[in-house]
Amino acid sequence: MAARDRRARGGRGFGRRGFGRSHEARTGWMFLSPFVLLFALCFLAPIVVSVRAAFHRDLPTGGGLYGGGELVETFVGVENFAQVLATPALWAGLGRVVLFGIFQIPVMIGLALLLALLLDSEVVRRVTVFRLGFFLPFAIPGVIAALLWTYIYSPRLSPINQVLGAVGAPIDFFHPQMILVSMANMTTWTFAGYNMLIFLAALQAIPRELYEAARIDGASEARIVWAIKIPMVAPAALLAVLLSIIGTIQLFNEPTVLATVNPWMGNDFTPMVLAYNAMTGQAQPSGAGPASAVSIVMAVFAGVLAAGYALAQRRLAR
Amino acid sequence: MEHTVARAAGVLAAVAALAATSACAGTQATTTAPSPAAPGTTAVTGGEPVEIAYLHRLPDGEGMTKVAELAEQWNEENPDIQVTATKFDGRAAEMITKIEADVQAGTAPCLAQAGYAEVPSLFTRGLLADVTSEAAGYADNYSAGAFSLMTVGGTTVGLPQDGGPLVYYYNAAEFERLGLTVPTTMTELADVAKTAAGQGKYVVAFQPDEAQYWLAAQAAAAGGTWFSAENDAWRVDAAGEASQQVAGLWQDLLDSDAALVEQRWGDGFRGALNDQSLIGTIGAAWEAPLLAGDMAGTANEGQWSVAQLPSFGSEAMTGPDGGFGVVVLRTCDHPAEAMEFNNWLNTQIDALVSQGLVVAATGPMETPEAIRTFYGGQDVFAELATANENLNPDFPYIPTYPAIGAEMAAAADRAGSGQGTVMDIFTTAQEASVSSLEDAGLPVAR
Repeated sequence: MAARDRRARGGRGFGRRGFGRSHEARTGWMFLSPFVLLFALCFLAPIVVSVRAAFHRDLPTGGGLYGGGELVETFVGVENFAQVLATPALWAGLGRVVLFGIFQIPVMIGLALLLALLLDSEVVRRVTVFRLGFFLPFAIPGVIAALLWTYIYSPRLSPINQVLGAVGAPIDFFHPQMILVSMANMTTWTFAGYNMLIFLAALQAIPRELYEAARIDGASEARIVWAIKIPMVAPAALLAVLLSIIGTIQLFNEPTVLATVNPWMGNDFTPMVLAYNAMTGQAQPSGAGPASAVSIVMAVFAGVLAAGYALAQRRLAR
Repeated sequence: MEHTVARAAGVLAAVAALAATSACAGTQATTTAPSPAAPGTTAVTGGEPVEIAYLHRLPDGEGMTKVAELAEQWNEENPDIQVTATKFDGRAAEMITKIEADVQAGTAPCLAQAGYAEVPSLFTRGLLADVTSEAAGYADNYSAGAFSLMTVGGTTVGLPQDGGPLVYYYNAAEFERLGLTVPTTMTELADVAKTAAGQGKYVVAFQPDEAQYWLAAQAAAAGGTWFSAENDAWRVDAAGEASQQVAGLWQDLLDSDAALVEQRWGDGFRGALNDQSLIGTIGAAWEAPLLAGDMAGTANEGQWSVAQLPSFGSEAMTGPDGGFGVVVLRTCDHPAEAMEFNNWLNTQIDALVSQGLVVAATGPMETPEAIRTFYGGQDVFAELATANENLNPDFPYIPTYPAIGAEMAAAADRAGSGQGTVMDIFTTAQEASVSSLEDAGLPVAR
C-alpha cells in the first residue's frame, strides 16, 4: 500500500512542466470522466439531496382534516435532528447494532484470520478450492442469504432443529433474546470469507525470506505465525475491522427479512431499517426529512466509531 | 394494504425493489411519456390520441386475464385514448414513494392503484387529482361503501376496484365430524373454539402480522369508527367501546388456549391448515383464492366453506380488511379520459375476479371453477358479495394510517405470546395515531 501512495505522490507534478503535459492532463481527465460522472450522479448527488432533505420537512399548508391536499417543503432547521435524536427507537436500534458489533466483529475477524492462516500454511492442499469455497457465501446477494437463513431458522422447517429436536434441545432462533445471535451467525457466514481474502492477500505479500530466516534461526511454525505473520497483517486487520464496523452500523438486510416473519421486531429494529421505513411513511417519525436525518446521524456515528478505532489502533501499534 | 398473491411474494418483491433503488437512485425509468396534447384538451378530434399510463400491482398470475390484455382490448375499441399498463413489482409503500417522486418530477402516470387506507395519505401529500365531477357519473356502478373510500373530505379522487370484507372460512367436513355448529355470533365462536380446542383443533387463528387491518376491520365489524371529524380536527377513537369488545373476545380465546397463534404469512399458518389442526379462520374476502391455493392438493380440497363473519352485535356487519382502488394523479393532463378508462376497467368484473379480486363494482360475480371446487361447490363469490354489502359504511382512515402498522403488529405479537394484552394493541393504535397526526402537522381534537 505504501508503494502505491508514493507513486500517486510522484504523479502530482504533472502539468507544471509545459504544454505537452497539459494535453496529457486533458486526456487523463477524459479517461477519468466516466468515473467522475457516475460518482457525482450516484454518490455525491444523493448525499447532497439527503443533507438538504434533512433540514426540510413536507408540511400541510391548508387547514382541515387532510391539510388542504398539498404539502409544502418547509425549512425547519435542526428540528428533524432534534426529533430523531429524541426517538427512543433510534437509540434502541443503535444499542442493538453496537451490541451486535461488539461480539460479532471479533468472532468474524478471528475466524477470517484463522482461515487465512490455514490456507497460507503448508497444511492445506488445493488452496483455490477452499479459498473459493469460503468466499462463496459473499457472492450470494445479502437478501437472498437472509431468506435462506430464515428458512433454516424457521421453527417448522429448520433442519437444525430437526436434529436438535430429536435429542430434545431445539433452539428458538427467533426468540427476542436469540435473534441478534441468529443474525450475527448470518453475517459471519457471509463476510468471514470476504475478510479472509483481505488477510490472505496480506499474508501472501509477506516476503518468504522472512520465514526462511526465521526457520534458520530455529523458529517453530507456531512461532512464525505469532511473531511474523500476525504482526505483518495488522494493517489488513485494521481495514477489515473498519469495514465491519461500517457494515454493522448499516445492518439492514437481515433484520428486514427476519421482521417479515417476526412482527415483534417492528419497523425500527436497527437505525437503517428505521430510516427506510420512515422514508416510505411506515414508521414514526415519517417522511424524507426525518429519514435523511437518521441516515446522517448514523453516518456521523459510523465515522466517529471508525476514526476512534483507527486512532486507538495507531496508538497501540506505537 | 398488501394484497392477495403479491403479498405471498412480498419479500422477494421487496428484494427486487431494493436492488433496483439502491443501484443508482437517480436513474429510475419512468413509465409515461408526457402527453403531446395541451393540458385541458378533452376530446381529441382527428389529432394525436390521448396517452394514459396506468401503474398497478395486480398479480397477473397464471390463468388470469392480464391487465395488459385488458388495456389492449380497450385500445382497440378506443383509438382516441391509448392506455399503457405497467405492473409495479414491489411493496405498496414503495410504489407510493415512487409515485411521489414521479409526481414531483412531472413524469407520473395518470392512473395508479392505491389501497383504501393509503388514499388519504396520498391526498394529503398533494398527489391526487380532484375528479369529483367526472366520478359522479360513474358512482352508480359501485357499491356505495367502496365508492366512499375513494372520497377524501368530499373530494373524489378515483374509483374503487376491490373490497376486503372479513368473512369466516371453515372446514365444513371437520366441523361436521366434530359435531361443531358454524358460529353466527362472536359468543358462539368463542364457545365453538373452546369445544374444538378440547378436541385438539382450532377453529380460529390469532394473526399478529395482520393486526393493523385485520383487527381494525373487526372493530369496524363491532360498529366502531376509529377516525372521525370534530370541528375540522381528527377525533381518534381506536381504543373505544368497539375495540374493547374485540379485545375481550381475543383475550378470552388466547387465555383459554382456544385460538392458534400464528403469523398469517408465516409457514406455520399454512402448515396448520394442511395438517388440519387449524380448521377455521377469520379472513378477508380476498383470501378465498389464497386459502384454496395454500391447501391445493391436500385432504382439505372440497371440504372448506365460506360464511359471513360471526356478528359482534345484533346486526350482521363486517369490516374492511384491505381493498384498493385506482386513483387519478395530480399531474394527469387528461383526467376525464383517464376516468373513462378507469370506469371501464373496474367494471370488467370477470377479468378482475380472475385476478382474485372481490370487485367493488356492482353486478354478479361468477365464482371461478377452481374456487368453487375447493369450497365444495359453494357459490363463494355470492357469499363474498353479501359480505361486501354488510360492510360498516363509516370507517375512514387517517392520512398517517400506514405509519402505525408496525407498532400495532409488534403489540399484537406480544399479546399473542402472553407478554401483553390484546387491549394494548388498541391503545398502541390510539397513541400512535395521535402522535403520527401531530407529527404530520394535522389537527387532532382533544
